[in-house]
Order: sequence, then structure tokens, then C-alpha cells
Amino acid sequence: MENEKKTGPESLAGSDPENAFALLIEEHQRLVFAVALRLTASADAAEDITQETFMAAWKHLKDFRGESSLKTWLLRIAANKARSWWRWKKLRNWVGLGRGEGEEDAAAPEDFLPDRPGDRPEQLAIQADLERRVQAAIALLPPRQREVAVLRSQELTMTEIAAALGMAEGTVKAHWFEARRKLEASLGEYL
Amino acid sequence: MNEDKEKKLISLLAVRRHEAFWQRQEKEILAAAAGRPSHRKAWLLAPAAALAALLFFTARPQTPAPSPESLVSTAFLEHLDLLDDMDVLEAVPENEL
Repeated sequence: MENEKKTGPESLAGSDPENAFALLIEEHQRLVFAVALRLTASADAAEDITQETFMAAWKHLKDFRGESSLKTWLLRIAANKARSWWRWKKLRNWVGLGRGEGEEDAAAPEDFLPDRPGDRPEQLAIQADLERRVQAAIALLPPRQREVAVLRSQELTMTEIAAALGMAEGTVKAHWFEARRKLEASLGEYL
Repeated sequence: MNEDKEKKLISLLAVRRHEAFWQRQEKEILAAAAGRPSHRKAWLLAPAAALAALLFFTARPQTPAPSPESLVSTAFLEHLDLLDDMDVLEAVPENEL
């Protein structure tokens, strides 16, 4: 990614860190949000996680050792925050405060609206239906397969996924193989 | 699954939002980074809550198991209470019961 070189840790610590941080957000926010949304199936949680991921990166930039790319570092933070969110959700369910299955806060319909207003009606319906089905198919995967599939769906390589999730590359491949088989079975009509 | 199918699957799983959504999100993150007040999300406290629960259960003073003697004396006192009730019953004239 061309921009990634511009917003490396050096530029964030340089003369105009605020501007560099804005560039970093612009560059990676889609990726971080997509991963958070697919891992939690909650639009609200995904927005929170995206915000908290960038805040944590901003705060702990000095701890970034450059052993991985900024992208995988951000995704590792986001994945950890998604795990925290799941623990919190389980705790809430355990004490009887949680919502029932399938009652997650879906994205607002206007979020699906395309940028060209002329396309609106059909696109909105198709996109919303597809979103529900995709999310349901991902939710059926076991946690590790889900994490691998979500990162792979953002076009990360096996090496990048292994770095982001702290797994061996062979394990990532095995999880992706299984996840792909299940997703194909669930979403076969669209493939 | 062939490569084309994998590409289709990856495209299917992609998350799409309109441009205004990303702009709003970017503004919110920058505002939060600039230190404008933002409420802490409860779920972010999950690790701290788990730690607090762990500390509570490990640090709570353990009540020692009652010794056999105290068990006997408790049973004895309960027996006395029962006898007291019986005394009361005996003291009340039969026609008043």
C-alpha cells in the first residue's frame, strides 16, 4: 500500500503527528471497521472498536517495535478488543442482561446507501439482505475460524493473518480451509 | 474451491459503507484523540471487571469450617430452643390451645 509508507511510526512521531495520525486513520479505518464488524456482528460495537483501536495505537505508538507492519499491529489491537467485547457480552448474558441471539444492533439502513442517490431503492434492499446473510454465515464459524476468515476477507495474506493473530501460518491455512468450506456451503447461491 | 470462487467469496464478505460514513468516523476518532470528552464504553472495562472479581474471590477471608465441638454445641442449643417451645406449650392450659 503506497500510503502505508507515508504514515509509518516515524511520521507519526515527526513534526506533524496530528496530520500523520489523520492519514493513518484514513488509510486503515475501513479495514479496522470491517474486521470489527465481522467479528462482533454489531455496528455499534464495530464503531467503538474502531475508535478505541486508533486511540490505543496513538497512545502506545512508542511500544510499536516495527516487527510487523502498522496494518497488522492495528488489526491485532482490533482483534483483541473484539475478544474483550465478546467476554463482556458473555458476562452480560451470564448475569441476564444480554440480548437474545440475533438481536444485535444491525447497521442503520442509511449506512448501506450508495454514494450515487439514483441507485438507492434496489441497492439498499439487496445490500441489507446480503449483509444479514453474510453476517449469519460468519457467525456460524467457531471463533478462530471466524477471525481467520474475517482477516482473509480483507485480503490479508496468510503471513499477515498469522502475525495479526499470533498464530502459526500452517494453523491459519488450516482454519481458512475449514472456514472457506463452511462459508461456501452457507453462501453458495451467491458464488 | 478454485481461485475465482475464493475471490468471489472474499468480495462477498467485504464491508461496504458510503463515503459520508467514513468521513464521520474519521472526525469522531480525531475528536476523541484531541481529548474531547467521550464516554468510556462499558465493555472496555471487561478485563478490569474480571480482575476485580478474581481479586474479590481470592482476597476474601476464608471462614474456617466449624469444628465438631461447635457443631455439637449448635445442635445442643437448637435442641434447647425446641425444649423452650415445648415448655411454653406445656405452660398454656389445654383449653386455650
